[in-house]
Amino acid sequence: MIRRILSIAANTFRETIRNKILYAILAFALFVIGMTFFLADLSVGDFARIIADVGLASIHIFGVIMAVFLGINLVSNEVDRKTIHIILSKPVRRSEFIFGKTLGLSVTLLLTTLAMAAVLFLVHLSYQYGGRAEIGIFIASAGIYMELVLLTCLASLFSTFTTPVLSAIFTLSLFLVGHLTKYLYVLGEQSKAAAVRWGSRFLFFLLPNLENFNWKNEVAYGGLKSFSILGWAAGYLAAYAACVLCLSCLLFARKDFK
Amino acid sequence: MTHERPILSIEGLSKSYPTGFWRKPVRVLSDLSCEVRENEIVGFLGPNGAGKTTTIKILNRLAFPDAGKVTLFGGRVRDGADVRRRIGFMPEQPYFYEYLTGGEFLRLCGQLCGMSRTEMESRSSELLSRVGLSGARDTAIRKYSKGMMQRLGLAQALLHDPELVILDEPMSGLDPMGRMEVRGIIRDLKAAGKTVFFSSHILSDVEALCDRVIMLHKGRKVAEGRVEELIGAETLHIELVVSPVLPADRLAAAGIPPEAGYAHGALLVLRAPDNGQANRWIAALLREGCMVISCVPMKKGLEEIFMERVGVSVATGTAS
Repeated sequence: MIRRILSIAANTFRETIRNKILYAILAFALFVIGMTFFLADLSVGDFARIIADVGLASIHIFGVIMAVFLGINLVSNEVDRKTIHIILSKPVRRSEFIFGKTLGLSVTLLLTTLAMAAVLFLVHLSYQYGGRAEIGIFIASAGIYMELVLLTCLASLFSTFTTPVLSAIFTLSLFLVGHLTKYLYVLGEQSKAAAVRWGSRFLFFLLPNLENFNWKNEVAYGGLKSFSILGWAAGYLAAYAACVLCLSCLLFARKDFK
Repeated sequence: MTHERPILSIEGLSKSYPTGFWRKPVRVLSDLSCEVRENEIVGFLGPNGAGKTTTIKILNRLAFPDAGKVTLFGGRVRDGADVRRRIGFMPEQPYFYEYLTGGEFLRLCGQLCGMSRTEMESRSSELLSRVGLSGARDTAIRKYSKGMMQRLGLAQALLHDPELVILDEPMSGLDPMGRMEVRGIIRDLKAAGKTVFFSSHILSDVEALCDRVIMLHKGRKVAEGRVEELIGAETLHIELVVSPVLPADRLAAAGIPPEAGYAHGALLVLRAPDNGQANRWIAALLREGCMVISCVPMKKGLEEIFMERVGVSVATGTAS
Protein backbone atom coordinates (compact mmCIF):
# COMPACT_ATOMS: atom_id res chain seq x y z
CA MET A 1 0.00 0.00 0.00
CA ILE A 2 2.74 2.47 1.02
CA ARG A 3 4.73 1.60 -2.09
CA ARG A 4 1.75 2.28 -4.36
CA ILE A 5 1.03 5.61 -2.64
CA LEU A 6 4.68 6.59 -2.98
CA SER A 7 4.71 5.60 -6.66
CA ILE A 8 1.66 7.76 -7.37
CA ALA A 9 3.16 10.58 -5.26
CA ALA A 10 6.46 10.38 -7.15
CA ASN A 11 4.61 10.51 -10.46
CA THR A 12 2.52 13.48 -9.33
CA PHE A 13 5.68 15.24 -8.17
CA ARG A 14 7.24 14.57 -11.58
CA GLU A 15 4.09 15.87 -13.29
CA THR A 16 4.02 19.10 -11.30
CA ILE A 17 7.71 19.89 -11.56
CA ARG A 18 7.47 19.45 -15.33
CA ASN A 19 4.66 21.99 -15.41
CA LYS A 20 5.93 25.18 -17.04
CA ILE A 21 3.19 27.32 -15.47
CA LEU A 22 4.49 26.37 -12.01
CA TYR A 23 7.93 27.66 -12.96
CA ALA A 24 6.43 30.88 -14.31
CA ILE A 25 4.59 31.50 -11.01
CA LEU A 26 7.66 30.55 -8.97
CA ALA A 27 9.97 32.78 -11.02
CA PHE A 28 7.60 35.72 -10.59
CA ALA A 29 7.32 35.00 -6.86
CA LEU A 30 11.11 34.92 -6.45
CA PHE A 31 11.38 38.15 -8.43
CA VAL A 32 8.83 39.89 -6.19
CA ILE A 33 10.54 38.60 -3.03
CA GLY A 34 13.89 39.75 -4.38
CA MET A 35 12.42 43.19 -5.07
CA THR A 36 11.58 43.65 -1.37
CA PHE A 37 15.28 44.50 -1.01
CA PHE A 38 14.65 47.71 -2.97
CA LEU A 39 11.18 48.23 -1.55
CA ALA A 40 12.62 48.67 1.94
CA ASP A 41 14.59 51.70 0.70
CA LEU A 42 11.37 53.42 -0.24
CA SER A 43 9.78 52.97 3.17
CA VAL A 44 10.14 54.78 6.45
CA GLY A 45 10.99 53.01 9.71
CA ASP A 46 11.97 49.40 10.37
CA PHE A 47 13.34 48.29 7.01
CA ALA A 48 13.89 44.67 8.00
CA ARG A 49 10.26 44.48 9.14
CA ILE A 50 9.10 45.70 5.72
CA ILE A 51 11.15 43.02 4.03
CA ALA A 52 9.78 40.27 6.26
CA ASP A 53 6.23 41.58 6.03
CA VAL A 54 6.06 41.98 2.26
CA GLY A 55 8.20 38.91 1.61
CA LEU A 56 6.07 36.58 3.74
CA ALA A 57 2.90 38.01 2.21
CA SER A 58 4.37 37.25 -1.22
CA ILE A 59 5.22 33.68 -0.20
CA HIS A 60 1.68 33.31 1.09
CA ILE A 61 -0.07 34.70 -1.99
CA PHE A 62 2.06 32.92 -4.55
CA GLY A 63 1.90 29.69 -2.54
CA VAL A 64 -1.89 29.86 -2.51
CA ILE A 65 -1.93 30.47 -6.27
CA MET A 66 0.27 27.41 -6.82
CA ALA A 67 -1.68 25.21 -4.40
CA VAL A 68 -5.05 26.14 -5.88
CA PHE A 69 -3.89 26.02 -9.49
CA LEU A 70 -2.27 22.60 -9.11
CA GLY A 71 -4.76 21.24 -6.56
CA ILE A 72 -7.92 21.80 -8.58
CA ASN A 73 -6.46 19.85 -11.48
CA LEU A 74 -5.07 17.11 -9.29
CA VAL A 75 -7.84 14.58 -9.89
CA SER A 76 -9.96 16.24 -12.57
CA ASN A 77 -7.09 16.25 -15.07
CA GLU A 78 -6.65 12.52 -14.62
CA VAL A 79 -10.37 11.97 -15.16
CA ASP A 80 -10.62 14.30 -18.17
CA ARG A 81 -7.51 12.91 -19.84
CA LYS A 82 -8.60 9.35 -18.94
CA THR A 83 -5.15 8.51 -17.58
CA ILE A 84 -6.96 7.32 -14.47
CA HIS A 85 -8.41 4.37 -16.42
CA ILE A 86 -5.08 2.60 -16.62
CA ILE A 87 -3.98 3.51 -13.09
CA LEU A 88 -7.16 2.33 -11.36
CA SER A 89 -7.23 -0.89 -13.37
CA LYS A 90 -3.99 -1.82 -11.60
CA PRO A 91 -4.05 -3.17 -8.04
CA VAL A 92 -4.53 0.37 -6.70
CA ARG A 93 -7.28 1.43 -4.32
CA ARG A 94 -8.97 4.72 -5.08
CA SER A 95 -8.02 5.99 -1.62
CA GLU A 96 -4.36 5.23 -2.38
CA PHE A 97 -4.69 7.28 -5.55
CA ILE A 98 -6.09 10.29 -3.63
CA PHE A 99 -3.43 10.05 -0.89
CA GLY A 100 -0.65 9.64 -3.45
CA LYS A 101 -1.75 12.60 -5.55
CA THR A 102 -2.04 14.86 -2.50
CA LEU A 103 1.30 13.73 -1.13
CA GLY A 104 3.03 14.35 -4.47
CA LEU A 105 1.69 17.88 -4.71
CA SER A 106 2.57 18.55 -1.07
CA VAL A 107 6.20 17.67 -1.83
CA THR A 108 6.21 20.08 -4.78
CA LEU A 109 4.75 22.83 -2.60
CA LEU A 110 7.35 22.09 0.07
CA LEU A 111 10.17 22.69 -2.40
CA THR A 112 8.63 25.87 -3.84
CA THR A 113 7.89 27.29 -0.38
CA LEU A 114 11.41 26.42 0.74
CA ALA A 115 12.87 28.16 -2.31
CA MET A 116 10.82 31.30 -1.67
CA ALA A 117 11.66 31.27 2.06
CA ALA A 118 15.37 30.83 1.32
CA VAL A 119 15.39 33.81 -1.05
CA LEU A 120 13.55 35.95 1.50
CA PHE A 121 15.96 34.86 4.23
CA LEU A 122 18.94 35.86 2.08
CA VAL A 123 17.38 39.21 1.16
CA HIS A 124 16.66 39.88 4.82
CA LEU A 125 20.15 38.84 5.82
CA SER A 126 21.87 40.91 3.19
CA TYR A 127 19.94 44.12 3.73
CA GLN A 128 22.47 46.72 4.69
CA TYR A 129 20.49 48.69 7.29
CA GLY A 130 19.82 46.46 10.26
CA GLY A 131 19.64 43.15 8.40
CA ARG A 132 19.77 40.08 10.65
CA ALA A 133 19.50 36.31 10.37
CA GLU A 134 15.78 35.99 10.96
CA ILE A 135 15.01 32.32 11.60
CA GLY A 136 11.40 33.33 12.09
CA ILE A 137 11.09 33.57 8.30
CA PHE A 138 11.41 29.79 8.10
CA ILE A 139 8.95 29.30 10.98
CA ALA A 140 6.35 31.55 9.35
CA SER A 141 7.01 29.85 6.00
CA ALA A 142 6.41 26.48 7.66
CA GLY A 143 3.03 27.85 8.78
CA ILE A 144 2.28 29.02 5.24
CA TYR A 145 3.31 25.61 3.93
CA MET A 146 0.92 23.86 6.32
CA GLU A 147 -1.86 26.13 5.13
CA LEU A 148 -1.00 25.27 1.51
CA VAL A 149 -1.17 21.54 2.29
CA LEU A 150 -4.62 22.03 3.80
CA LEU A 151 -5.73 24.03 0.76
CA THR A 152 -4.37 21.25 -1.47
CA CYS A 153 -6.49 18.71 0.41
CA LEU A 154 -9.56 20.93 0.02
CA ALA A 155 -8.87 21.52 -3.68
CA SER A 156 -8.44 17.79 -4.27
CA LEU A 157 -11.71 17.15 -2.40
CA PHE A 158 -13.56 19.52 -4.73
CA SER A 159 -11.79 18.18 -7.79
CA THR A 160 -13.21 14.70 -7.09
CA PHE A 161 -16.75 15.82 -7.85
CA THR A 162 -16.80 19.13 -9.69
CA THR A 163 -15.15 21.10 -12.47
CA PRO A 164 -11.79 22.87 -12.03
CA VAL A 165 -13.43 26.31 -12.17
CA LEU A 166 -15.90 25.49 -9.40
CA SER A 167 -13.13 23.76 -7.42
CA ALA A 168 -11.08 26.96 -7.62
CA ILE A 169 -14.05 29.09 -6.51
CA PHE A 170 -14.82 26.77 -3.57
CA THR A 171 -11.19 26.52 -2.48
CA LEU A 172 -10.54 30.25 -2.68
CA SER A 173 -13.79 30.90 -0.79
CA LEU A 174 -12.64 28.58 1.98
CA PHE A 175 -9.24 30.30 1.94
CA LEU A 176 -10.90 33.66 2.57
CA VAL A 177 -13.39 32.31 5.11
CA GLY A 178 -10.62 30.31 6.77
CA HIS A 179 -8.85 33.53 7.77
CA LEU A 180 -12.03 35.03 9.18
CA THR A 181 -13.49 32.16 11.22
CA LYS A 182 -12.47 33.66 14.58
CA TYR A 183 -14.54 36.76 13.76
CA LEU A 184 -17.44 34.48 12.90
CA TYR A 185 -17.14 32.95 16.38
CA VAL A 186 -16.79 36.30 18.15
CA LEU A 187 -19.75 37.82 16.31
CA GLY A 188 -21.87 34.71 16.91
CA GLU A 189 -21.17 34.80 20.65
CA GLN A 190 -22.49 38.36 20.83
CA SER A 191 -25.90 37.27 19.54
CA LYS A 192 -28.79 36.82 21.96
CA ALA A 193 -30.30 33.99 19.91
CA ALA A 194 -29.03 30.58 21.01
CA ALA A 195 -29.49 29.17 17.49
CA VAL A 196 -27.14 31.80 16.07
CA ARG A 197 -24.57 31.17 18.80
CA TRP A 198 -24.68 27.40 18.22
CA GLY A 199 -24.68 27.90 14.45
CA SER A 200 -21.58 30.11 14.58
CA ARG A 201 -19.83 27.68 16.94
CA PHE A 202 -20.65 24.80 14.57
CA LEU A 203 -19.29 26.72 11.58
CA PHE A 204 -16.22 27.76 13.57
CA PHE A 205 -15.33 24.12 14.18
CA LEU A 206 -16.42 22.92 10.73
CA LEU A 207 -14.57 25.49 8.61
CA PRO A 208 -10.77 25.46 8.48
CA ASN A 209 -9.17 27.97 10.80
CA LEU A 210 -6.24 29.08 8.68
CA GLU A 211 -5.18 31.68 11.24
CA ASN A 212 -3.73 28.73 13.16
CA PHE A 213 -0.90 28.81 10.61
CA ASN A 214 -0.42 32.57 10.41
CA TRP A 215 2.65 33.91 12.22
CA LYS A 216 3.63 36.58 9.74
CA ASN A 217 3.05 39.48 12.13
CA GLU A 218 5.01 37.82 14.93
CA VAL A 219 7.97 37.40 12.58
CA ALA A 220 7.73 40.95 11.25
CA TYR A 221 7.80 42.34 14.77
CA GLY A 222 10.51 39.89 15.87
CA GLY A 223 8.39 38.01 18.39
CA LEU A 224 8.73 34.52 16.96
CA LYS A 225 11.90 32.59 17.74
CA SER A 226 10.91 29.02 18.52
CA PHE A 227 9.86 26.13 16.28
CA SER A 228 7.73 24.72 19.12
CA ILE A 229 4.75 26.73 17.88
CA LEU A 230 4.65 24.40 14.88
CA GLY A 231 3.53 21.43 16.99
CA TRP A 232 -0.03 22.57 17.66
CA ALA A 233 -0.45 23.74 14.05
CA ALA A 234 0.87 20.43 12.71
CA GLY A 235 -1.60 18.54 14.91
CA TYR A 236 -4.48 20.69 13.67
CA LEU A 237 -3.33 20.18 10.06
CA ALA A 238 -3.07 16.40 10.50
CA ALA A 239 -6.56 16.11 11.99
CA TYR A 240 -8.27 18.43 9.51
CA ALA A 241 -6.44 17.06 6.45
CA ALA A 242 -7.26 13.48 7.51
CA CYS A 243 -10.98 14.35 7.67
CA VAL A 244 -10.90 16.12 4.28
CA LEU A 245 -8.97 13.28 2.62
CA CYS A 246 -11.31 10.65 4.08
CA LEU A 247 -14.27 12.60 2.69
CA SER A 248 -12.52 12.80 -0.70
CA CYS A 249 -11.97 9.03 -0.67
CA LEU A 250 -15.60 8.46 0.26
CA LEU A 251 -16.86 10.63 -2.61
CA PHE A 252 -14.36 9.14 -5.04
CA ALA A 253 -15.00 5.52 -4.07
CA ARG A 254 -18.17 5.08 -6.14
CA LYS A 255 -17.49 7.53 -8.93
CA ASP A 256 -18.17 6.28 -12.46
CA PHE A 257 -15.64 7.24 -15.12
CA LYS A 258 -17.20 7.81 -18.54
CA MET B 1 -8.49 -28.38 -17.88
CA THR B 2 -8.89 -25.55 -20.37
CA HIS B 3 -12.21 -24.11 -21.57
CA GLU B 4 -14.01 -25.44 -18.51
CA ARG B 5 -13.52 -23.20 -15.51
CA PRO B 6 -15.15 -19.76 -15.83
CA ILE B 7 -12.59 -17.07 -15.09
CA LEU B 8 -15.04 -14.27 -15.62
CA SER B 9 -18.71 -14.53 -14.92
CA ILE B 10 -21.26 -11.77 -15.44
CA GLU B 11 -24.79 -12.20 -14.09
CA GLY B 12 -27.72 -9.89 -14.76
CA LEU B 13 -25.59 -6.77 -15.24
CA SER B 14 -27.53 -3.53 -15.71
CA LYS B 15 -26.26 0.00 -15.87
CA SER B 16 -27.77 3.43 -16.50
CA TYR B 17 -26.03 6.77 -16.77
CA PRO B 18 -27.63 10.01 -15.62
CA THR B 19 -28.06 12.52 -18.44
CA GLY B 20 -29.11 15.55 -16.44
CA PHE B 21 -31.07 16.53 -13.38
CA TRP B 22 -34.52 16.41 -14.99
CA ARG B 23 -33.94 13.81 -17.66
CA LYS B 24 -34.40 10.09 -17.40
CA PRO B 25 -31.16 8.13 -17.08
CA VAL B 26 -30.04 6.36 -20.23
CA ARG B 27 -29.85 2.62 -19.85
CA VAL B 28 -26.68 1.28 -21.45
CA LEU B 29 -26.76 -2.31 -20.18
CA SER B 30 -29.77 -4.52 -19.55
CA ASP B 31 -29.55 -7.79 -17.74
CA LEU B 32 -26.33 -8.94 -19.37
CA SER B 33 -25.11 -12.40 -18.43
CA CYS B 34 -22.15 -14.22 -19.94
CA GLU B 35 -19.02 -16.16 -19.09
CA VAL B 36 -15.40 -16.32 -20.17
CA ARG B 37 -13.65 -19.60 -19.53
CA GLU B 38 -10.01 -20.34 -18.92
CA ASN B 39 -7.68 -20.10 -21.93
CA GLU B 40 -10.39 -18.87 -24.28
CA ILE B 41 -10.22 -15.93 -26.66
CA VAL B 42 -13.63 -14.31 -26.45
CA GLY B 43 -14.73 -11.49 -28.72
CA PHE B 44 -17.16 -8.89 -27.50
CA LEU B 45 -19.03 -7.48 -30.49
CA GLY B 46 -21.46 -4.68 -30.95
CA PRO B 47 -21.98 -1.37 -32.70
CA ASN B 48 -21.18 1.98 -31.08
CA GLY B 49 -23.28 2.48 -27.97
CA ALA B 50 -23.96 -1.23 -27.54
CA GLY B 51 -22.52 -1.23 -24.02
CA LYS B 52 -19.19 -2.97 -24.65
CA THR B 53 -17.00 -0.30 -23.12
CA THR B 54 -19.36 0.12 -20.15
CA THR B 55 -19.16 -3.62 -19.47
CA ILE B 56 -15.38 -3.52 -19.68
CA LYS B 57 -15.27 -0.51 -17.34
CA ILE B 58 -17.39 -2.38 -14.81
CA LEU B 59 -14.97 -5.31 -15.00
CA ASN B 60 -12.15 -2.90 -14.19
CA ARG B 61 -13.96 -1.01 -11.41
CA LEU B 62 -14.09 2.17 -13.46
CA ALA B 63 -17.89 2.11 -13.32
CA PHE B 64 -20.34 0.42 -10.98
CA PRO B 65 -23.42 -1.53 -12.05
CA ASP B 66 -26.96 -0.68 -10.93
CA ALA B 67 -27.70 -4.37 -10.66
CA GLY B 68 -25.98 -7.68 -11.28
CA LYS B 69 -22.80 -9.38 -10.25
CA VAL B 70 -19.34 -9.75 -11.75
CA THR B 71 -17.15 -12.61 -10.58
CA LEU B 72 -13.46 -12.73 -11.49
CA PHE B 73 -11.43 -15.82 -10.60
CA GLY B 74 -14.25 -16.85 -8.30
CA GLY B 75 -14.27 -13.54 -6.36
CA ARG B 76 -16.44 -10.44 -6.63
CA VAL B 77 -14.98 -7.65 -8.76
CA ARG B 78 -14.75 -5.33 -5.76
CA ASP B 79 -12.24 -7.70 -4.20
CA GLY B 80 -8.83 -6.19 -3.76
CA ALA B 81 -5.36 -6.15 -5.15
CA ASP B 82 -4.91 -9.92 -5.48
CA VAL B 83 -7.62 -10.18 -8.14
CA ARG B 84 -6.49 -7.02 -9.96
CA ARG B 85 -2.93 -8.34 -10.13
CA ARG B 86 -4.20 -11.25 -12.26
CA ILE B 87 -5.84 -8.95 -14.83
CA GLY B 88 -4.32 -6.86 -17.60
CA PHE B 89 -6.42 -4.11 -19.12
CA MET B 90 -6.02 -1.92 -22.14
CA PRO B 91 -8.67 0.81 -22.49
CA GLU B 92 -10.04 2.02 -25.81
CA GLN B 93 -7.66 4.67 -27.18
CA PRO B 94 -5.41 4.52 -24.11
CA TYR B 95 -4.26 7.81 -22.62
CA PHE B 96 -0.93 8.19 -20.85
CA TYR B 97 1.03 10.77 -18.91
CA GLU B 98 2.50 12.68 -21.80
CA TYR B 99 5.41 14.03 -19.74
CA LEU B 100 6.72 10.48 -19.22
CA THR B 101 8.67 8.36 -21.66
CA GLY B 102 7.38 4.93 -22.64
CA GLY B 103 9.95 3.29 -20.34
CA GLU B 104 9.04 5.53 -17.38
CA PHE B 105 5.36 4.77 -17.85
CA LEU B 106 5.96 1.02 -17.83
CA ARG B 107 8.09 1.45 -14.69
CA LEU B 108 5.21 3.25 -12.99
CA CYS B 109 2.81 0.45 -14.00
CA GLY B 110 5.25 -2.16 -12.71
CA GLN B 111 5.55 -0.38 -9.36
CA LEU B 112 1.76 -0.22 -9.03
CA CYS B 113 1.58 -3.95 -9.78
CA GLY B 114 4.16 -4.71 -7.09
CA MET B 115 6.86 -5.93 -9.45
CA SER B 116 10.52 -5.98 -8.46
CA ARG B 117 12.91 -3.63 -10.26
CA THR B 118 14.71 -6.41 -12.16
CA GLU B 119 11.48 -8.10 -13.15
CA MET B 120 10.12 -4.76 -14.32
CA GLU B 121 13.17 -3.97 -16.43
CA SER B 122 13.31 -7.35 -18.13
CA ARG B 123 9.55 -7.48 -18.83
CA SER B 124 9.57 -3.87 -20.11
CA SER B 125 12.38 -4.57 -22.56
CA GLU B 126 10.76 -7.80 -23.70
CA LEU B 127 7.34 -6.24 -24.21
CA LEU B 128 8.54 -3.03 -25.83
CA SER B 129 10.41 -5.15 -28.30
CA ARG B 130 7.36 -7.42 -28.80
CA VAL B 131 5.09 -4.48 -29.63
CA GLY B 132 7.73 -2.78 -31.78
CA LEU B 133 8.53 0.13 -29.45
CA SER B 134 12.03 -0.75 -28.24
CA GLY B 135 13.42 2.23 -30.17
CA ALA B 136 10.92 4.57 -28.52
CA ARG B 137 11.59 3.55 -24.91
CA ASP B 138 13.19 6.89 -24.02
CA THR B 139 10.93 9.02 -26.21
CA ALA B 140 8.36 11.24 -24.48
CA ILE B 141 4.86 9.84 -24.92
CA ARG B 142 3.67 13.22 -26.23
CA LYS B 143 5.70 12.43 -29.36
CA TYR B 144 4.05 9.03 -29.89
CA SER B 145 1.67 8.46 -32.81
CA LYS B 146 -1.79 6.96 -32.23
CA GLY B 147 -0.54 3.53 -33.26
CA MET B 148 2.42 3.78 -30.86
CA MET B 149 0.05 4.70 -28.02
CA GLN B 150 -2.01 1.63 -28.83
CA ARG B 151 1.12 -0.54 -28.72
CA LEU B 152 2.21 0.98 -25.41
CA GLY B 153 -1.29 0.33 -24.09
CA LEU B 154 -0.89 -3.31 -24.98
CA ALA B 155 2.56 -3.47 -23.37
CA GLN B 156 1.33 -2.03 -20.04
CA ALA B 157 -1.59 -4.48 -20.02
CA LEU B 158 0.78 -7.45 -20.36
CA LEU B 159 3.61 -6.14 -18.18
CA HIS B 160 2.75 -8.05 -15.01
CA ASP B 161 2.04 -11.27 -16.92
CA PRO B 162 -1.70 -11.38 -16.14
CA GLU B 163 -3.85 -14.48 -16.47
CA LEU B 164 -6.81 -12.60 -17.93
CA VAL B 165 -6.25 -9.88 -20.53
CA ILE B 166 -9.11 -7.48 -21.22
CA LEU B 167 -8.66 -5.34 -24.31
CA ASP B 168 -11.07 -2.64 -25.43
CA GLU B 169 -10.80 -2.21 -29.20
CA PRO B 170 -7.15 -3.30 -29.42
CA MET B 171 -6.99 -2.95 -33.22
CA SER B 172 -8.35 0.59 -33.27
CA GLY B 173 -5.92 3.07 -34.82
CA LEU B 174 -3.51 0.41 -36.07
CA ASP B 175 -2.36 0.00 -39.65
CA PRO B 176 -2.72 -3.46 -41.30
CA MET B 177 0.78 -4.44 -40.14
CA GLY B 178 -0.01 -3.38 -36.59
CA ARG B 179 -3.28 -5.30 -36.63
CA MET B 180 -1.47 -8.40 -37.78
CA GLU B 181 1.07 -8.01 -34.95
CA VAL B 182 -1.68 -7.59 -32.36
CA ARG B 183 -3.44 -10.67 -33.71
CA GLY B 184 -0.14 -12.52 -33.30
CA ILE B 185 0.22 -11.31 -29.71
CA ILE B 186 -3.32 -12.42 -28.85
CA ARG B 187 -2.64 -15.86 -30.34
CA ASP B 188 0.63 -16.07 -28.38
CA LEU B 189 -1.24 -15.23 -25.18
CA LYS B 190 -3.62 -18.10 -25.76
CA ALA B 191 -0.70 -20.42 -26.51
CA ALA B 192 0.83 -19.34 -23.18
CA GLY B 193 -2.34 -20.40 -21.38
CA LYS B 194 -3.79 -16.91 -20.90
CA THR B 195 -7.40 -15.89 -21.35
CA VAL B 196 -8.25 -12.96 -23.62
CA PHE B 197 -11.49 -10.98 -23.64
CA PHE B 198 -11.57 -8.22 -26.20
CA SER B 199 -14.09 -5.94 -27.82
CA SER B 200 -13.88 -5.02 -31.45
CA HIS B 201 -15.76 -3.56 -34.38
CA ILE B 202 -13.59 -5.41 -36.84
CA LEU B 203 -15.52 -8.61 -37.43
CA SER B 204 -12.89 -10.24 -39.61
CA ASP B 205 -10.38 -10.01 -36.73
CA VAL B 206 -12.87 -11.49 -34.32
CA GLU B 207 -13.73 -14.30 -36.72
CA ALA B 208 -10.07 -15.10 -37.27
CA LEU B 209 -9.07 -15.01 -33.58
CA CYS B 210 -11.89 -15.94 -31.27
CA ASP B 211 -13.02 -19.22 -29.81
CA ARG B 212 -16.30 -17.66 -28.80
CA VAL B 213 -18.14 -14.42 -29.38
CA ILE B 214 -20.67 -12.45 -27.40
CA MET B 215 -22.77 -10.03 -29.42
CA LEU B 216 -24.30 -6.99 -27.82
CA HIS B 217 -26.85 -4.55 -29.18
CA LYS B 218 -28.38 -1.64 -27.28
CA GLY B 219 -27.14 -3.06 -24.00
CA ARG B 220 -28.58 -6.53 -24.50
CA LYS B 221 -26.91 -9.75 -25.48
CA VAL B 222 -28.19 -10.83 -28.90
CA ALA B 223 -25.97 -13.87 -29.47
CA GLU B 224 -23.32 -15.92 -27.73
CA GLY B 225 -21.54 -19.02 -28.91
CA ARG B 226 -18.54 -20.65 -30.46
CA VAL B 227 -17.52 -19.00 -33.72
CA GLU B 228 -17.69 -22.23 -35.74
CA GLU B 229 -21.15 -22.96 -34.38
CA LEU B 230 -22.43 -19.51 -35.24
CA ILE B 231 -20.97 -19.29 -38.70
CA GLY B 232 -21.28 -22.99 -39.56
CA ALA B 233 -24.90 -23.40 -38.63
CA GLU B 234 -26.41 -22.32 -41.91
CA THR B 235 -25.39 -22.32 -45.58
CA LEU B 236 -26.32 -19.15 -47.45
CA HIS B 237 -26.01 -20.66 -50.95
CA ILE B 238 -23.78 -22.88 -53.09
CA GLU B 239 -21.43 -20.98 -55.33
CA LEU B 240 -20.64 -22.68 -58.64
CA VAL B 241 -17.90 -21.42 -60.93
CA VAL B 242 -18.00 -22.83 -64.48
CA SER B 243 -16.40 -22.15 -67.83
CA PRO B 244 -17.16 -20.99 -70.49
CA VAL B 245 -19.82 -18.35 -69.97
CA LEU B 246 -23.15 -19.49 -71.44
CA PRO B 247 -25.56 -16.98 -72.94
CA ALA B 248 -28.84 -16.36 -71.09
CA ASP B 249 -30.99 -18.32 -73.55
CA ARG B 250 -28.84 -21.47 -73.21
CA LEU B 251 -28.91 -21.15 -69.41
CA ALA B 252 -32.70 -20.86 -69.48
CA ALA B 253 -32.91 -23.87 -71.84
CA ALA B 254 -30.79 -25.85 -69.34
CA GLY B 255 -33.28 -25.01 -66.55
CA ILE B 256 -31.02 -22.46 -64.85
CA PRO B 257 -32.51 -18.99 -64.25
CA PRO B 258 -30.12 -16.49 -65.95
CA GLU B 259 -30.51 -14.07 -63.01
CA ALA B 260 -28.87 -16.69 -60.74
CA GLY B 261 -25.47 -15.98 -62.27
CA TYR B 262 -23.11 -13.40 -63.64
CA ALA B 263 -20.04 -13.41 -65.84
CA HIS B 264 -16.68 -12.81 -64.25
CA GLY B 265 -14.20 -12.59 -67.10
CA ALA B 266 -14.17 -15.96 -68.84
CA LEU B 267 -15.98 -17.59 -65.90
CA LEU B 268 -19.64 -17.91 -65.03
CA VAL B 269 -20.50 -17.64 -61.34
CA LEU B 270 -23.81 -19.16 -60.27
CA ARG B 271 -25.53 -19.15 -56.88
CA ALA B 272 -27.62 -22.26 -56.24
CA PRO B 273 -30.02 -21.92 -53.28
CA ASP B 274 -29.35 -25.46 -51.92
CA ASN B 275 -27.44 -28.69 -52.50
CA GLY B 276 -30.18 -30.37 -54.58
CA GLN B 277 -30.44 -27.45 -56.97
CA ALA B 278 -26.66 -27.25 -57.22
CA ASN B 279 -26.49 -30.93 -58.24
CA ARG B 280 -29.19 -30.46 -60.88
CA TRP B 281 -27.43 -27.37 -62.28
CA ILE B 282 -24.05 -29.14 -62.39
CA ALA B 283 -25.58 -32.02 -64.39
CA ALA B 284 -27.25 -29.59 -66.81
CA LEU B 285 -24.05 -27.52 -67.21
CA LEU B 286 -21.99 -30.63 -67.94
CA ARG B 287 -24.53 -31.60 -70.60
CA GLU B 288 -24.06 -28.13 -72.14
CA GLY B 289 -20.30 -28.83 -72.38
CA CYS B 290 -19.23 -26.64 -69.46
CA MET B 291 -16.40 -27.43 -67.08
CA VAL B 292 -17.05 -27.02 -63.35
CA ILE B 293 -14.14 -25.08 -61.81
CA SER B 294 -15.40 -25.01 -58.21
CA CYS B 295 -18.42 -25.71 -56.05
CA VAL B 296 -18.31 -24.04 -52.63
CA PRO B 297 -21.03 -23.90 -49.96
CA MET B 298 -21.07 -20.27 -48.74
CA LYS B 299 -21.60 -19.98 -44.98
CA LYS B 300 -22.77 -16.96 -43.11
CA GLY B 301 -19.97 -14.79 -41.79
CA LEU B 302 -20.06 -13.09 -38.42
CA GLU B 303 -21.09 -9.91 -40.15
CA GLU B 304 -24.25 -11.48 -41.64
CA ILE B 305 -25.03 -13.19 -38.34
CA PHE B 306 -24.51 -9.95 -36.44
CA MET B 307 -26.71 -7.92 -38.80
CA GLU B 308 -29.35 -10.62 -38.70
CA ARG B 309 -29.38 -10.79 -34.87
CA VAL B 310 -29.46 -7.04 -34.54
CA GLY B 311 -32.27 -6.85 -37.12
CA VAL B 312 -34.28 -9.59 -35.39
CA SER B 313 -33.89 -8.02 -32.01
CA VAL B 314 -35.01 -4.64 -33.30
CA ALA B 315 -37.95 -6.12 -35.24
CA THR B 316 -39.22 -8.11 -32.29
CA GLY B 317 -38.74 -5.18 -29.98
CA THR B 318 -36.46 -7.08 -27.65
CA ALA B 319 -33.84 -4.38 -27.74
CA SER B 320 -34.37 -1.38 -25.57
